[in-house]
Amino acid sequence: MSEQRMYPGMTPEEKTTFTPYSAFDIPADLRELTGRYDVESMARRCRNFRYAEEWLLMMMGGWIATIPEMPVKTGLGKVIWETAQAADELGKRLPELRCGTKSVDASESANEGFAALIQSISEPERPDLTIEKLAGPFDVLMPHLVDVYERTMRETDQICDSPTIEILEDIVRKRRRHITWGQEVLDRLCDTDALRERRRARAAALNQELVKSGGVTGTLAEDRRALN
Amino acid sequence: MKRFLHHDELARDSRFVRQDNAQSTVLATLPDDVDTIVNTFEQFSEMIEGSVKGTAAEPLFESYGPGFALTILNEPIDPDVPASLTRLLLRMHGIFVGEIQALEGAARSLWDFPDAPWDFKMNMARQAWDEARHVQIFEKLLNHLGGEVGMFPESTFLFECACSEEPAMRVAGVNRGLEGLACDVFRDMIKYAEKTGDERMRQAVDYVLADELTHVRFGSEWVREFTKDDPEHRKRVNEYRRTVDKQFSFGGARSDREDAAIPIAWDDRLEAGFTEEELKDLAELSSSGPTKKTLVEAARILRERHLAKREAAANGSASEAQS
Repeated sequence: MSEQRMYPGMTPEEKTTFTPYSAFDIPADLRELTGRYDVESMARRCRNFRYAEEWLLMMMGGWIATIPEMPVKTGLGKVIWETAQAADELGKRLPELRCGTKSVDASESANEGFAALIQSISEPERPDLTIEKLAGPFDVLMPHLVDVYERTMRETDQICDSPTIEILEDIVRKRRRHITWGQEVLDRLCDTDALRERRRARAAALNQELVKSGGVTGTLAEDRRALN
Repeated sequence: MKRFLHHDELARDSRFVRQDNAQSTVLATLPDDVDTIVNTFEQFSEMIEGSVKGTAAEPLFESYGPGFALTILNEPIDPDVPASLTRLLLRMHGIFVGEIQALEGAARSLWDFPDAPWDFKMNMARQAWDEARHVQIFEKLLNHLGGEVGMFPESTFLFECACSEEPAMRVAGVNRGLEGLACDVFRDMIKYAEKTGDERMRQAVDYVLADELTHVRFGSEWVREFTKDDPEHRKRVNEYRRTVDKQFSFGGARSDREDAAIPIAWDDRLEAGFTEEELKDLAELSSSGPTKKTLVEAARILRERHLAKREAAANGSASEAQS
């Protein structure tokens, strides 16, 4: 019996005897080469996401000194750091999506409406406005970002674009924790009907602005139509 | 939200009392002259009394008069001397509020300088998280020693001095001035904890000190970056840092003098990126205030006058009641 070949040779008789599996056989992998976003549009989405994360980071940084509630001051510290890491990871993805080696700090608002929404969210300043401050990120913007990130992860090419999926998975995991924290803080702060109404009214106004802008990617209406 | 915040606008809950920063500012500029120091503190007496009213520092004012800070600042904390616990709590509370202001200073840099390089924002974000943990750590340590938040008035002097509206000066003030002071104070606290066998305090403060070295490094790197190719700018930033360091020396209480309450932590500062030359300069400028002998003598006179005033007031009330 001839010796088992470890490496292919130059002729058809010189093949190895290793069993031929598809790259997707073990374990079975049903992913297809298909996705809603090409390289260019995913790069744009990453810049849009990074814009939202970077502004979230900056506005929460600005608020810490103007918030009198000590657990909110200290709790925001960790949210700020993890938001910075989110923006950083999204930035690092940009050169990988053919945006140039200097694109790591590129941010881009989807449109003027979304940029205006960010300014509206960052507006509250006085120390008696903690509810208005927190309702913007924790009741409106962060839940919206989680929705969009999750949809992006589902709809992008699962094989070609899995580095983006990895980044978003990590951001979403932490973002859900931030939302839980922020909403618990808001529940505690809003302990009367009047305060609950302040929170509701603030979130409703910002949500309206968010929908009008089309959200972080400016495509909220199209995305919803696509779902139907 | 506007850019740049005045130190009066730092938000606090109802436990906190503010102290006028003038007292700390004056401490940094006192000459080596007993009469001048006594006169200065007598001028501020009413303000000092008002700021400690209802706080744990009120008994100190009653015992020592308006110069009680001179006594406290210029004696190293020794577990064997009287009132060491009150003094320890006063220092611990000072550190706690200092950490709040460091958190606010670092976090505010994210908003105040929107066009700063991304790596700067990353560093400030990391520092904000670290400082937030430090606030939590020092609240725990304060409670561990039997103290509580708000038991002493808060001076926002650190934020006022360190938070410039120019980014290179901001990092020079916060990351090199304020965090450098933190290195000195924390090394001293670690020594105190070792002496008293307080392992909880020793370990916690040791971790905090490790963070502070990183923050000083951020400052050293960003001062270099923000002032590169501009020696004039670097000179101005360095002068600003020297002014902050002078103010944070509290008339020599933090210095390299033999009798300093808070010695300069040379080894930690070197590891954090300060140069030998900078440290020699710091030692010189922080030691140029009044000597300990002068301050102790001023404190003695202030105490005597204060007690005499109290006695006269008590006698006056008694005569009024009699007539």
